[in-house]
Amino acid sequence: MACDTPVYSLLDHTADLKIRVWGRDLLDLFENAATSMMRFLLEAGPADETEVISISLTAEDLNDLMVRWLSEILYLLMGEHQVVVQSKLNAINRSHLDAVLHVIPYDPDKHQMETEIKAVTYHQIDVSPRGSHWQAEIVFDL
Amino acid sequence: MNISLKQVDAYRWRIPKTGAMRVPGLLFSSSKLIRSVRNDPCLAQVANVATLPGIVHHSLAMPDIHWGYGFPIGGVAAFDLDEGIVSPGGVGYDINCGCRVMTTRLTADVIKPFINDLVQGLFRDIPCGVGSSGHIHLSKKEAEDVSVQGAAWAVKKGLGTIDDIEKTEDGGAIPGADPSTLSGRAMKRGKDQLGTLGSGNHFLEIQVVDRIYDSEKAAIFNLFEGQVTMFIHSGSRGFGHQICDDFLKEMTRHASTDGRYDALPDRQLIYSPLKSALAKRYLAAMACAANYAWANRQILMHWTRKSVMDTLSITPEEMGMRLLYDVCHNIAKHETHPMDGHETTLCVHRKGATRALPPWHPLLPRVYQRSGQPVLIPGDMGSYSYVLSGTEGAMEQSFGSCCHGAGRVLSRNQAVKKARGRDIRRELADHGVVVQSRGKRTLKEEMPEAYKSVSEVIESVHGAGLAKKVARLRPLGVVKG
Repeated sequence: MACDTPVYSLLDHTADLKIRVWGRDLLDLFENAATSMMRFLLEAGPADETEVISISLTAEDLNDLMVRWLSEILYLLMGEHQVVVQSKLNAINRSHLDAVLHVIPYDPDKHQMETEIKAVTYHQIDVSPRGSHWQAEIVFDL
Repeated sequence: MNISLKQVDAYRWRIPKTGAMRVPGLLFSSSKLIRSVRNDPCLAQVANVATLPGIVHHSLAMPDIHWGYGFPIGGVAAFDLDEGIVSPGGVGYDINCGCRVMTTRLTADVIKPFINDLVQGLFRDIPCGVGSSGHIHLSKKEAEDVSVQGAAWAVKKGLGTIDDIEKTEDGGAIPGADPSTLSGRAMKRGKDQLGTLGSGNHFLEIQVVDRIYDSEKAAIFNLFEGQVTMFIHSGSRGFGHQICDDFLKEMTRHASTDGRYDALPDRQLIYSPLKSALAKRYLAAMACAANYAWANRQILMHWTRKSVMDTLSITPEEMGMRLLYDVCHNIAKHETHPMDGHETTLCVHRKGATRALPPWHPLLPRVYQRSGQPVLIPGDMGSYSYVLSGTEGAMEQSFGSCCHGAGRVLSRNQAVKKARGRDIRRELADHGVVVQSRGKRTLKEEMPEAYKSVSEVIESVHGAGLAKKVARLRPLGVVKG
C-alpha cells in the first residue's frame, strides 16, 4: 500500500465503526482504506512470502466502488481465510478498478483478530475530492 | 438534520410527517431515555424509514433505539404487499440474531461454589470469538438442509427435542427458504460456523432468577426465584452477513438503472418492491439465514447442557434443562395484522426488535396460549436480563413488537477509552459476575457503562403496554466472544 502509516481517523458512531481516510489521489485513497480496515481487523506483521491475486471490480459510482473494494478484501479474510497484507491499484476510474492483492494464509495463532467487522456498509458512505486530495468516510458494521 | 419530537404521553413520542415522509414516526420511550437520543442521528433514521414506499401506520422505534446503518437499531416498519418494499438493511447483516433462554432444576446456591469451573467449561466447549469455526463441518447438501429445516435439522441429529421446536419462534424455520438463491460465498462461510457463538455483543450467560413480577405467568414459564437459567444471544454468523451483503449489492446495481439509488436519503436503505423477483429471492435467501440461526442456537443449547452436566457430574434429569423460548430480533416476515378493521398481511421488518404475541394468538404453542409469548430481553453483562410476556397492546401499537435489549449509549471507541487502566473483569467479579472472553477489546467495548439501563428500557415497554414484566434474571457467569 502507498504509505506505511495509514492516513485515517476514527469518527464517532454509537454501535459501529466509522472512519475517515485520506489519499493523495484515488489510487492512494483506496489503498489507504484497505490498509486502515486491515489494521482494525488484525495485526499481520511482516510477511516473507505472499501470493498475488488480481481483481477487477465494477460499480455504479465511486461510493459503490469503495464499498465493493473493501467488501472484497473482507470476504478474502472471512470466507477464504486469506489476509491481505498489501494492495496495489493499477487503474481506477469512477466505476471500475484493477488491483493486485498480496495475501498470506490466515493463521489464528499469529493473527489474533481483535474486532469482527461484519460488513462494509453503504450508510453515509462518501468518497469525494477535498482540495488537492481525496477523502472517504466509511461505516463498518461490527 | 433537526427532527421534531412531540410528546404524546408518558411513554409515546411522535415525529410529525414532514418532507418526503409517507407516515409519521412513533417512539416508545420514557422521558428519561428520550434524553439520550434527542440529538442522535437515530431519529433521522426513523424519519428516513418513513419515506420508503408502501410503509403503513408509523415508522416505529423501541426505547432501546440507537444509531444503526439505514434503519435505526430498535426500528420496526411494516409494508403493504402491493405497494411496499423489502430492505436487507432493515433486517441487518446478522439475520435472525436472537435470544434463547433455558430453565433448569438447579438453584443458584447449589452451583455458586462451581461457577468458575462452569464458566471455564463453557468457554472450552462452546466455540466463540471472531470468525470462529465450530466442531461441525457441513457438506453442501447438509448446509442446504440446515437452511431449509432450521432447528429441526439439529433435533434430527439428536441435538435437542421436539419440545424445543415448539418453543421456538416459527417452530425454528421460516417457510420459503430456497438454497438455490445463495451465492457460493455464502455457502462457503456457512459450512464451518454452525454451532459457534460469535463475538461482539453475543454471549452465553449463566443466570439466576432474582425477582418474579407475575407469579401466575412465571409458573407457566417454569420460572422460580433462585433458579438457574441460561441465556444465549447469537445469530446466523458469516452465513447471514454474506447473504445480506450479496443482496445489498445486487439491489444497488438494480436500483441504479431507475434512479432509485440516487434518490435514497441513505444508501443503506436500498430496497426492492415486494412484488419483484429480486425481493422474492432475497426473502428466500434471508429465510435460509434465519433457519441457520435457529439451528445454531439449538446446537449451542445442546452443548451448553452437556458442558454444565460434565462440570457438575450430574444427569440430564438432575439438570432438568428445558427451553423457555427462542426469539429472533433481526428479520422481515409476512404477518397478519389488523389494519382499518381488516386482517391484512404485511411485511414486517424488525431490526433490533422482538416479536411479542398476546395470549390466545394462533402462532403460540399450546403451553403459552394463556400467558402470551415469552419475550426475552438481554441486558449488559453487569446487570439484568428480563423475561416479559406479550400483550394485546403490542398488537394494537407495534405490529406485535417489543424492545430487544439495553441499547448502546457509548460508541465502542468511547467505551474502550473509558475502560483504559481499568480491569473490567475484576470489577465484574467484585459484583459477583465471573466473565471469560476471547477478545481483549471485547470486555472493554461491552462494559456495562456502554449501555443504557435495561431496567429503564423495560419500564418503558411495560408502561407503554407493549409487554408485561414476568421475571428478572441476574448474571452469575458470562462467556463472551
